[in-house]
Amino acid sequence: MTGLVDRGRAALSKTLVAVRGAVVRRDARAILVGVSLLYLGLYLYVLGHLRFTGGGGFDSLVVSDPLARMFESRGPLAFEPVAALVVGPLELLVAPVNVAIGAALALLVGVNLAVSFLAWRHPAACGIGSGARGSGLLAGLPALLSGTACCGPVVLIALGIQASGVIVASFGFLVPAAALLLLGSLVYVGRQVDPTVAEPRTG
Amino acid sequence: MSWVPGRRAFLAASGVGLAGLAGLAGCLGDADGTGGSSETDTATEAADSGSTQSATGRGSAEAASDGGDYSTDTSVLPTRDQPLPVEWSFARLRDETLSGGPPKDGIPSVDEPSFWSVSEADEFLAPGDIVFGVAGESDVKAYPQRVLVWHEITNDAIDGENVSVTYCPLTGTAMGFFRGETEFGVSGRLVNSNLVMYDRETDSRWPQVLATAISGPFEGQSLTEFPLAWTTWGEWKAAHPDTVVLSEETGHVRNYNRDPYGEYNPPRGYYTNKNTLFAPLSADDRYQEKAVVVGARPREGAVAFRKESLREQGLLTGEVGGTTFHAVYDPALDTAHVYRGDGTDLSYADGQVSVGGETVAPDALPLGRVVDFDAMWFAWAGFYPETVVVA
Repeated sequence: MTGLVDRGRAALSKTLVAVRGAVVRRDARAILVGVSLLYLGLYLYVLGHLRFTGGGGFDSLVVSDPLARMFESRGPLAFEPVAALVVGPLELLVAPVNVAIGAALALLVGVNLAVSFLAWRHPAACGIGSGARGSGLLAGLPALLSGTACCGPVVLIALGIQASGVIVASFGFLVPAAALLLLGSLVYVGRQVDPTVAEPRTG
Repeated sequence: MSWVPGRRAFLAASGVGLAGLAGLAGCLGDADGTGGSSETDTATEAADSGSTQSATGRGSAEAASDGGDYSTDTSVLPTRDQPLPVEWSFARLRDETLSGGPPKDGIPSVDEPSFWSVSEADEFLAPGDIVFGVAGESDVKAYPQRVLVWHEITNDAIDGENVSVTYCPLTGTAMGFFRGETEFGVSGRLVNSNLVMYDRETDSRWPQVLATAISGPFEGQSLTEFPLAWTTWGEWKAAHPDTVVLSEETGHVRNYNRDPYGEYNPPRGYYTNKNTLFAPLSADDRYQEKAVVVGARPREGAVAFRKESLREQGLLTGEVGGTTFHAVYDPALDTAHVYRGDGTDLSYADGQVSVGGETVAPDALPLGRVVDFDAMWFAWAGFYPETVVVA
């Protein structure tokens, strides 16, 4: 039992080092930021809150009492948009709680891929790099899952899947499940990164 | 021209019945809640039923027994003297009611609608976009499908009467109800893929197509209705250049240029494919699931006229419970009107109807009109498996 706790603590510690490496190393940081922004954009697009209008200019609209209404539930982990922003060719409906959920998931996906990159470039020991690559790809699965979660039954309609009460109820669990999977895969791949990766390099 | 009425004028024209309270009590006295309301009420139908039933029977009794501060006073929410036909037991309908995903009011109704002029609406709507039109004596209004797909219910007023204009995207049904002093909201639940509304007075649950409460203090009672024309913006504004149009200033921000289910202009996605979100109450493969029928459910039972056949033939006639019903196609709005026959011979040519030798417009037959609405076939057949079908 003590051994299990120690191993878990060590894995967590290695993961934190790997995450720090993903932040301090320029190439990994580029992946982290790029993937996170891409995922957040995709999340908001699939949610129907971000679209390309092709127009231009700047416009904004805020509903009355936005602070209270931003917490109104519109579905499983979907919340009320309280503002609309038009910036050039992009239109964004701002549902602050959904932006926060999307940003958290996006950050997890970005960190997963950045750490996977480090595990590939800087493996902890020879011979496990390929495993790290696989686990990096693993991060895509929960990302897909959480993307499905945001739109609930609409996704079923698009796919032509007939729903049941159980399926519809399960949509409420997809985002938390995706977040847990992302944390799990992060620890899995994080412990395979060279522990010196975040240290300053000389020469 | 499509019409719609002051409520009393409409109810008179549509031949909505004035049932005896004895017959009504028989329905409401179905204490185990398993009886649908397709009971044979022998009360003689009167020509006019502008009045509504008094607060009697089960609803009030329940309200009293559970201490709830409910009112089934029909001045709060008008109901029909004789409930509409329902072919399933209320217990079964309640069992088949499922969450559609959003919570109660997760799809927010529009409670303070604002309207555009025709020129303002032209900035937003293409001629082929679907609108649901209602032409009252003084108010002429169109409700864009692109707005209602995000809200499903607008609590509004027409000719001084409080109404709810409702739309269920999954069953392709747009229906109008008189709402008295209360409002309707979206419960977040579906039965037979159809929107289940709730009234904000008693929280009774009203599947839109049935227009009859399946639970709550109003269980067993039916709403008073008025027809909406399912038509296009181009056709509606040509017929009613003085119309106003529900605007996208709904108090909510939504992407009104995006329909999460598909598209009507041109048709694609959920609106044309064979997929249904939930299994229907009963399946009938005579037509493709999303084929459109013009449905009516007078007291004699349910009748569906295939819309494609109506477009081709102009006039369809069917018999329900020994009574003849005519569906007449109105090419100006690509809509139809259903009438109760009285034995007079009808014929149809060039968009006009000959009634006993006199030529009249499709919306002006001198016969009792019955509320009708477009519906996807699977939804109609699911709710009304015993329906008469005329094609």
